[in-house]
Amino acid sequence: MQESNLNTEVRSSMVVRKTNRKKMWDTIKNQKQLMFMSVPLLIYIFIFNYYPLYGWLMAFQNYRPRRDATMFNQEWVGLDNFKFLFTQHDFGRVLRNTIGMSVINLILSFVTAIVLALLLNEIKNLFVKKTIQTISYLPYFISWVIAATIVSQALSTDNGIINNMLVSLRIIDEPILWLAEGKYFWGIFGIANVWKQVGFNAIIYLGAMASIDPNLYEAAEIDGAGRMKKMLHITLPGIKSTFVVLLIMNVAHLLSTGGGAGGFEFQYLLGRGSNIAWSETIDVFTLRYGIRMGNFSLATAAGMFKTLVSISLVFLVNGLAKKLGENRLI
Amino acid sequence: MKNSKRLLVICLCVVLVLSFALSACRQNEENGGGSTTDPNDTGKKTSTDIMEISTFISRAGTTPTADNRIYKKIQEELGVKFNFEFVVGEIQQRVGIMISGGDYPDLIGVQSNEAMQFIDAGAFIPLEDYINDAENYPNLNRHYGPLINRITHVDGHAYIMPNFGVHYGTFYQNETWGPAFWIQRAVLKEFGYPEIKTLDQFFDLVQDYMRKYPQIDGQDTVGFVILTDEGRDWPLRNAPAQLAGYPNDGSVIVDKVGSAYNARLFQHLDISKRYFKKINEMYHAGVVDPESFVMNYDQYISKLSSGRVLGLFDQRWNFNNANLSLYEQEKFDRMYTPIPVVFDESITDWYLTRSELNVNSGFAISENAKDPDKIMKIIDALLDEEWQKLLQWGEQGVDFLVDENGMYYRTQEMRDNYNSNEWRLRNQARDLLEFLPKMEGTFSSGNATSPGIQPSEYFEGLTDSERELLSAYGVQTQGQLFTTPPENPIYFPAWSINIPHGSAEQIANQRLKDIAFEHLPQMIRASTSEFEQRWARYVELNEAIDIAAIEAHYNKEIQRRVDDWGPSR
Repeated sequence: MQESNLNTEVRSSMVVRKTNRKKMWDTIKNQKQLMFMSVPLLIYIFIFNYYPLYGWLMAFQNYRPRRDATMFNQEWVGLDNFKFLFTQHDFGRVLRNTIGMSVINLILSFVTAIVLALLLNEIKNLFVKKTIQTISYLPYFISWVIAATIVSQALSTDNGIINNMLVSLRIIDEPILWLAEGKYFWGIFGIANVWKQVGFNAIIYLGAMASIDPNLYEAAEIDGAGRMKKMLHITLPGIKSTFVVLLIMNVAHLLSTGGGAGGFEFQYLLGRGSNIAWSETIDVFTLRYGIRMGNFSLATAAGMFKTLVSISLVFLVNGLAKKLGENRLI
Repeated sequence: MKNSKRLLVICLCVVLVLSFALSACRQNEENGGGSTTDPNDTGKKTSTDIMEISTFISRAGTTPTADNRIYKKIQEELGVKFNFEFVVGEIQQRVGIMISGGDYPDLIGVQSNEAMQFIDAGAFIPLEDYINDAENYPNLNRHYGPLINRITHVDGHAYIMPNFGVHYGTFYQNETWGPAFWIQRAVLKEFGYPEIKTLDQFFDLVQDYMRKYPQIDGQDTVGFVILTDEGRDWPLRNAPAQLAGYPNDGSVIVDKVGSAYNARLFQHLDISKRYFKKINEMYHAGVVDPESFVMNYDQYISKLSSGRVLGLFDQRWNFNNANLSLYEQEKFDRMYTPIPVVFDESITDWYLTRSELNVNSGFAISENAKDPDKIMKIIDALLDEEWQKLLQWGEQGVDFLVDENGMYYRTQEMRDNYNSNEWRLRNQARDLLEFLPKMEGTFSSGNATSPGIQPSEYFEGLTDSERELLSAYGVQTQGQLFTTPPENPIYFPAWSINIPHGSAEQIANQRLKDIAFEHLPQMIRASTSEFEQRWARYVELNEAIDIAAIEAHYNKEIQRRVDDWGPSR
């Protein structure tokens, strides 16, 4: 063993590479079953996630669907679509709204989910725990269309529960037209999102908490740690890695619709002319000026922009996590 | 060695599975394509020559029941079955997806701007050869032949068969489906059916009623609602034009200058200022419902259906479901009656227009249709008087009766059925009829083409409260509440002028709409002292948009219509 190591050291670098390649080949050989199992997934990912990327070409065209349309007989317009996207006078506010609401959602959903999970974790009566959990995650399963209607009914000036409550508590004198005032929109968004998502988000943390070694708690108890201390020094550090992975994933969705970041449905369903200055996000803008107007190129350009920002954010947060010595996603 | 053999086996397995999957896909495709033209596979007894026509209806709707009487008859006698697809959610989105995939059903029923999108994409086949073929398509030729210039698109082909506006015999305009200020009959009744001419009188009356009845059915009375839904922009934006005596031309008003027409956008002009100033006052008087600015369309309809909204500005077809719902609840006094309100008495109202041909609305045949000749044959057949009678009136003896003079009439039960949405799904080919080319006016027998416009039937079918209202105003029909409309201008209506997709004008137009929907509600809610200042700001924002380009587009298209459509209809 040692001999061969020595030998390799004295040989030329080409040979080193050869041995490396051989090593790699060995690893591949060793894991060939795993490799084969991943082939269908790779094919799936290629077909659905990479192959459609050729559609990005559309962003540099003035794409018009028509009978003989292909990707290559369209008019090429260079960066015109991006120029239009960035120079629309309200692009600034669209971007502000997107990021603003995403950040609100990110922070609120993490804090509330972790707090709820911590509290549920402390409940020892299984029945009570399950009941609370079920009630809190029920709203997650109704679609945003219905949820938005519930929200708008609750906020109505016409016997809406929120206005009725605030008026009878003498907090306000007259019902407020919540949805018509742009300044309330982000707040409504944050609260509605928490209401809808918190129970479901907490499940993941509860799972992480369940996997913490009970010995740690016992040991801490013997050392005289109270509830708060145990939460602070055992539970929270125990879910840290889960937290970081989720954070990285959620940051990727800062500009997009998926992953509960909520950059589209809520704003689309509850956005009104009078609150548009604070409700229009990139996705809503793209729908209105891109897809609805048959301007697919603009929609593609906006999509590309979002993807690029998302990828850079993921790398950024990932890098941070690495620096802090935490688990990473990539 | 053994290992590599196993590898090979695994490899082969994967390939095998994949090829199975792929070939299954392909087979499916072939079957899917075949089953519509060759329904033998379905194994139905009578299905040997039943042709299935996939039909897209570009609005929300409900699929008729499987045992629908009329569709059954069509299937038995003409050997076709229509498979409907309705829009769920956003029409533009659905159309966009359809176009980018090139995945069209056989028959596409359009009703507004989406028509242009389809035509631009080359989705429709030209129909002029069918229309000009009097031998094989006699009914279509009779129907559209004289109008071929009008329905021809700028590129020289006719693509869409307009569903409204082709008249036969006498055309009675008994009721309006267009724009008007609508008021609850109860309000007029309460004050002894006063003469209402101006906007001020209209709001005074509403206010008087509100004072007298602050609650209706235990809920607060609502004076006036405005739907502010971006996709249905007229309830917010269009009222000023009609108040100023212009017919409904959409977002423009058209003046005749010498022999030429001049179209102008009006959302920032003084007529609009006058209207919104009044609305602003009314908002602070508690007449205009604050919820107007946060409601969506469904909430709007449900609010109107509650019967506590006194007035609104809208087009009847847009809120008719609320009217029908009030009818079903037997709240007849809470149903709406149109009033042709104008700014002041010197203005003649022009709400009611003679029925026009909407060139963007109706059925078109897609390029994917397997047998366009056959589909056109069927449409031609359905345009026959007998079929039209069945589609519009129903079956003789079941849906209507014939008196000794050969005039059609109905019993109250038949009328109630006719008005019931649920009954319609089982006993009428409603959605098909809506989009099909149809006869309007009178049949050769002298009967009106549909019960709604048969004068005797119309009057008999009215509710007592409406009959009382009409006789109080000394008229027989709702249409007579309006000034008798003059001949339509040749180009009319300008709202059917399309702004090309992807053009700078289209974006400018959308910007204008955005400005209106953002700032008008704010202006209405702002304090009255702030109004002037906000209006000035609003005009400024409007003028920053290239309005001239949009107006130029309208004027160009109006001129084209004047040139192509000839001096008279």
